[in-house]
Amino acid sequence: MKRVIQHPTSSATGRTYWRSLGEYSRTPDFEEWLHREFPAGAAEWDKDPLSRRSFIRLMGASLALAGLGLSGCRRPEAHLVPFTQSPEWVISGKNLSFATAQPRRRGAIPLLATTFNGRPTKMEGNPLHPDSLGASDNHAQASVLDLYDPARRQFLTRAGKKAEIAELDAEVARIRTEAGANAGATLAILADETLSPTRERLRAELLRQFPQATWAVYEPLAPGRDLEASAAAFGSGTEVRPDLSAAKTILSVDCDFLGSDEGDLSDTRGFTAGRRIRKPGDKSNRLYVAEPRFSLTGTMSDHRLRLRASATGVFLLELARQIRALRPNSELSSVLAKTPDLPLPSGIDPAWIRECAADLVANGNRSLVLVGRRHSVAIQALGYAINAALGNVGTTLLVQPRLSAPSTSLQSLTEKIRSSSIRTLVILGGDPVYSAPNDLGWADLLGTIPNSIHLSPIFNATSAKTTWFVPGTHFLESWGDALAGDGSYLSIQPTIQPLWGGESQLEFLVRLLGQSKPVGPALVRETFTARTKLGADKQEQAWNDFVREGFLPGATPSPSKTFNSGAVAALLSNISSPNVAETNSLEAVFIHSGAVDDGRYANNGWLQEWPDPMTKLTWDNAILISSKTASSLGLKNEIIKGILVADVVKATIGTRSVETPVVIAPGHVDFAVSLPVGYGQDLLGPVAKGAGFDAYRLRTTDSEYVAQGLRLERTGHTKQLAVTQEHQAMEGRDLVREAALTEFNEDPGWAKKVGMDGHIPPNQTFYPSPKLTGEHQWAMVIDLSTCTGCNACVTACTAENNIPVVGKDQVMKGREMHWIRVDRYYTGEPEEPEAVSQPVACMQCENAPCETVCPVNATVHNEEGLNVMAYNRCIGTRYCANNCPYKVRRFNFFDYNQRPIDKLYWGPLAPKGTEETIKLQKNPNVTVRMRGVMEKCTFCVQRIEEAKINARVKARDSDNIKIPAGSLQTACQQACPADAIVFGDLKDAKSEVSQLRALPQNYSLLEYLNVRPRLTYLGRIRNPNPAMPGARTSYIPSHGHGESHGHENATENHSSEEAHK
Amino acid sequence: MRADNASAQAAFAKASDYLERQPLVANHRPLSWITDHVCRIVEQPAPIWWWVSTIVFGAVAALTPAMLTYLVATGVGVWGLNVPVCWAWDITNFVFWIGIGHAGTLISAILFLTRQKWRTSINRSAEAMTIFAVICAGIFPAFHVGRIWFAWFLFPIPNANAIWQNFRSPLLWDVFAVSTYFTVSLIFWYLGLIPDLASLRDRATTRFRQMAYGILSLGWRGSNRQWTHYEKTYLILAGISTPLVLSVHSVVSFDFATSVVPGWHTTIFPPYFVAGAIFGGFAMVLTLLIPFRELYGLHDLVTDKHIDNMCKIILLTGSLVGYAYSMEFFIAWYSGNPFEIYAFTNRAFGPYWWAYWAMITCNVAAPQLFWFKYCRQNPWVVLAIVMFPNTGMWFERFVIIVTSIHRDFLPSSWGYFSPTWVDITLFIGTIGLFVFLFLLFVRFLPIINMFEVKGITPQADPHAHNPGSNHAAPTQPPHSLDESRVHA
Repeated sequence: MKRVIQHPTSSATGRTYWRSLGEYSRTPDFEEWLHREFPAGAAEWDKDPLSRRSFIRLMGASLALAGLGLSGCRRPEAHLVPFTQSPEWVISGKNLSFATAQPRRRGAIPLLATTFNGRPTKMEGNPLHPDSLGASDNHAQASVLDLYDPARRQFLTRAGKKAEIAELDAEVARIRTEAGANAGATLAILADETLSPTRERLRAELLRQFPQATWAVYEPLAPGRDLEASAAAFGSGTEVRPDLSAAKTILSVDCDFLGSDEGDLSDTRGFTAGRRIRKPGDKSNRLYVAEPRFSLTGTMSDHRLRLRASATGVFLLELARQIRALRPNSELSSVLAKTPDLPLPSGIDPAWIRECAADLVANGNRSLVLVGRRHSVAIQALGYAINAALGNVGTTLLVQPRLSAPSTSLQSLTEKIRSSSIRTLVILGGDPVYSAPNDLGWADLLGTIPNSIHLSPIFNATSAKTTWFVPGTHFLESWGDALAGDGSYLSIQPTIQPLWGGESQLEFLVRLLGQSKPVGPALVRETFTARTKLGADKQEQAWNDFVREGFLPGATPSPSKTFNSGAVAALLSNISSPNVAETNSLEAVFIHSGAVDDGRYANNGWLQEWPDPMTKLTWDNAILISSKTASSLGLKNEIIKGILVADVVKATIGTRSVETPVVIAPGHVDFAVSLPVGYGQDLLGPVAKGAGFDAYRLRTTDSEYVAQGLRLERTGHTKQLAVTQEHQAMEGRDLVREAALTEFNEDPGWAKKVGMDGHIPPNQTFYPSPKLTGEHQWAMVIDLSTCTGCNACVTACTAENNIPVVGKDQVMKGREMHWIRVDRYYTGEPEEPEAVSQPVACMQCENAPCETVCPVNATVHNEEGLNVMAYNRCIGTRYCANNCPYKVRRFNFFDYNQRPIDKLYWGPLAPKGTEETIKLQKNPNVTVRMRGVMEKCTFCVQRIEEAKINARVKARDSDNIKIPAGSLQTACQQACPADAIVFGDLKDAKSEVSQLRALPQNYSLLEYLNVRPRLTYLGRIRNPNPAMPGARTSYIPSHGHGESHGHENATENHSSEEAHK
Repeated sequence: MRADNASAQAAFAKASDYLERQPLVANHRPLSWITDHVCRIVEQPAPIWWWVSTIVFGAVAALTPAMLTYLVATGVGVWGLNVPVCWAWDITNFVFWIGIGHAGTLISAILFLTRQKWRTSINRSAEAMTIFAVICAGIFPAFHVGRIWFAWFLFPIPNANAIWQNFRSPLLWDVFAVSTYFTVSLIFWYLGLIPDLASLRDRATTRFRQMAYGILSLGWRGSNRQWTHYEKTYLILAGISTPLVLSVHSVVSFDFATSVVPGWHTTIFPPYFVAGAIFGGFAMVLTLLIPFRELYGLHDLVTDKHIDNMCKIILLTGSLVGYAYSMEFFIAWYSGNPFEIYAFTNRAFGPYWWAYWAMITCNVAAPQLFWFKYCRQNPWVVLAIVMFPNTGMWFERFVIIVTSIHRDFLPSSWGYFSPTWVDITLFIGTIGLFVFLFLLFVRFLPIINMFEVKGITPQADPHAHNPGSNHAAPTQPPHSLDESRVHA
């Protein structure tokens, strides 16, 4: 594709900067240079997608754009500036951050993109935005790798053949002629959900031009049933957003609000804020969870009930009745009046619901009931009714204006296509061929449409079926906007010129509208102007602030939304009783994958290698099943030589079947399975190829979330799966220390007395301790009460520290390279396990066992208490890793950064070198390690050094070179939405880390070794309700001083190994 | 009275037949026979079996450089290592070979200092075995590092990068201990070879052999003065070697003992490793000597008595390691430390139980057969039994290294190690290298220490006059005018 480089036609308003004296004086030389340089370079672009020259230009381009975000007073220039004419604020090696946002189906994530010399390397949450406050999640962290994905198709195709942009121009002209003739009756647009107001504006414009055109939106995992329910309950144009920070008692019914599908950053932040216990007497919220599979939310629960997804309605009905009994409420009574009288399925203890209801009622309007958004409209509405009865609307359940505009559903669009009324279909993003319900038959359907165009950043199953494929841009390459979950208006600005050309959805819509390509942010700015309605004098400043800060606050949710009990009551007759599940007719729930979401991130190596928080599975998905169901079906998992060998089953629903491994998931409800979607996309690229199976193949319109009648047949085959944690139990070791809140109040220092810690004699060090004389003494504290185990820290660390992807084969061999990992242990009874998460990074031991054994002094202590690695010195004896009690050291067994991961064993015969684009992502402040060296967490020493340099620059000649408290965060800490990781200076007694370390519940892992770790943990405090049936009220092992060490907590030992047998 | 006297004398004569020590050279072989018999191996054309086995083992030995080339070119990942098992066959093989290298120097140094005359006929080959075993051993720590091209960082070489070693690391002690051991063993061995090399030179019939052995024998003329210097030097080297025998394996054991890993962090390791090394070393000496004794007809020099003695040492050291194994368990239990208790329970009953019980069978149970005289006297039975310690000692190191680190403190990080074809092929390659070098040794160097054996023959001892026996009277004093030493 020829690139057309645009020059600004005229000087925009505001101050104009000239780039050189040549420009200032408008010399003919400069004019010639300006006009000749780039078109000449464009020829080179076509031959080599990313030559050095062209990269320099890219950098220049993004810097020119950077000016907008940073200075806010440059005119919007969208043309290229060679880097030789460097803007004055650019210092090579120094990063610049630009506010942007990652569009999501349920509210974009406000972000800052860190760029070095014009290339984005790392995403951070936008610290100014209340949802993020600097935090992000694993998908936001990994999004930067998607930008550089070498598998992104770099050219236009028509019927599978490379096409020229002029051909597309002709095609768009033809579409416009056709649509103009029939008012768009034969034109349909199918888009993914980006919540972009500008896109909405263009959509409206398009529909004005072609009133008969169809605009459909499809998101495979967001059917919008909650929006329907909200419309009934609170009026149309509303949607509901929980405020977990205000809730004291929370019941989550199959709503994984701490996972990345159902919830967002503010949910995690709000929930964990209510669990942050610092001293006896502090209050903690209480979480009840009823769910089919063990989710992250389930791990944080104080009481968990295994509930089949199809029993959700019955469960909620019973809950509502209990609440009505406890607190008579006319609205609730009227809602429940016509509901069917369904019995509770066996196995659900009514006392559980009763006590839970009592606890909810006791907390008045500070309680919250959350229901999974993919359940039926009736169930959603019932959830809202319960919250309304509890008085939660406006306190913990906020009603805000709906973010997305109503659109035609995929089903209606399919009908139209089937009736042959659509001749041209434009698909903006998404992958309906892959993810649409099977009964709609999208793979064949596209063949029946004469003209179809797919605009997508990556070539996927849909692209293969459409006539045209137009390369789309990544959000880091284009101007845009989006709404966050709270309704605030986010700006999206490019941080780099599109790597391989391509168009954004907005640009393509403009093309469809028959307008000329917008210059820079013109489109978004138009929307912004319309939204803000500011006078021309304030407009400029407001726009610049918006782009720089990244958002405009949303409308405040109206607290006084009235609950419409009549409309809800009408919906509730649809609640049905759960199907009776048997071994030959199981219930299946289609869940999102924590790694690849609905499949959109399947070609992202970081996410494929990201261990699922619960199963610890990488590079694959699998059917999740309870151990009881597995044994009744004769299915087993075995750990053979460190590899999870899982039985492969043929899973059949109706006439459709897939072959896939089963993974026994402790805590899963019996006679039901969970099917994570998003895998099995071989077409996407080399990373996605061969990873997992496609669970969408079993999905139909009426079983979009829960399907009945699943049969699992043993095939006799097994599949090797790569798990990063093979052993699931703590083996009675005092690794994660837990206490009930009441126990903590009685004995706040319990964590220091658990296990061997109460018996340690005074320890002597054999070698003199390192001289800890530095200006700062770095330390980290991780609060196990608030860590949800979401693993965002793992991806953040991967992005920050240039951690290589090693591939499934290497993960199976135990060679994953993550510097921080989240250990997940199951505790309690094997049938009803509890789970705990514990992030483990290098402990930076003051008395480090790794340091004494390194023969070449490659790992040494610095005066600030860091255990530092000198990669240049490391010869790779691996002794340090053997002697590390926490096993946090990682070894480069191969040249992971230089050789393709499928040819690691070829040695010098494998092609050498990294993909050019992957190199662009690397953080220049962190060494890219070669094979044969040991590596590990450094507490982000590059950030520490940068902060030091900044402090010194600021100090000038004064002695005040101390890094100001709070000006420095490690990557994992920054990403953590739960604020569970706290890093800082121990020498500053006022720092948060010093104060946390002084807390009584602070403990060191493996204290008895006397390694004196700088990373310590705050013991986990649970808040069980003693009135609950079977409540475990004591979490402190009854240690005393007996001989029974190593045997208490014996119950822990079951879940893991047995789960795998 | 007379009759009584006569019967008493007869009884005494009969008893003395039993009580008399068996001579260390059987069948009253004259000195010239010893020279002829030993030198003939080197001087006569090599037998067919030698050619066949040398070619075969040479080919197997070639696997070593082949595997090392692949390893260095590709990365340590071609082995089955992982996190947590960062050492496995590499260090197992290293300790295994180093252990084998112990018997040689023990025989030549400690038995020399303690005047154990039976050492003379076996010390040469045992020392050669030591040298070759240490060569095989040295390959592993050198090549197991991730970046061998920087392995010179391990040596205190002044350099512009100011790289200096960490003298707290047992791995560095290892570097010095092993290199010192190798150097001293090599010098000790070579020094002991000089008089015999001179004999070969003097007997040589071709110019090439004369030159080669002439250069190697460093101008040895057998003068009284040379003998005086020789004996003193040999004694001093024996004195230097003796602590090395104990130190090398103690230092090797520090690699584990000074760590924090349960199962490694054990004070019993130094004596236990030394005992194990002697145990394994003697087993390997017997493994090599019994076939070669048979092939070269050296029964009169390496007598059944020698084999019997070595079997007894194996029995003793085997029992010592058995004691150490049980003591480790006792201490783990006695410590009350759940991590220690788990480490040892896991050894015996965890995923690597088979390795542990293979070790117990081979190292503790099998040598107990040497309580029976029959088992010590029949060389083929001995050969069969010593194969157990040979195997068992490899398993011992595997058990110590792999089972300790594959499940240490945090269950989340537990793992499993399986060897790859490269691991296995490289180990086989070093076995090939070891045997190949030994085959070259038996072909080109005198495998029996001729001059020392002559020194312990009855005829070399001026006081060895026993009227009751039929032994030949000593003909010459051992040191002054011993023609055999000069001309052989």
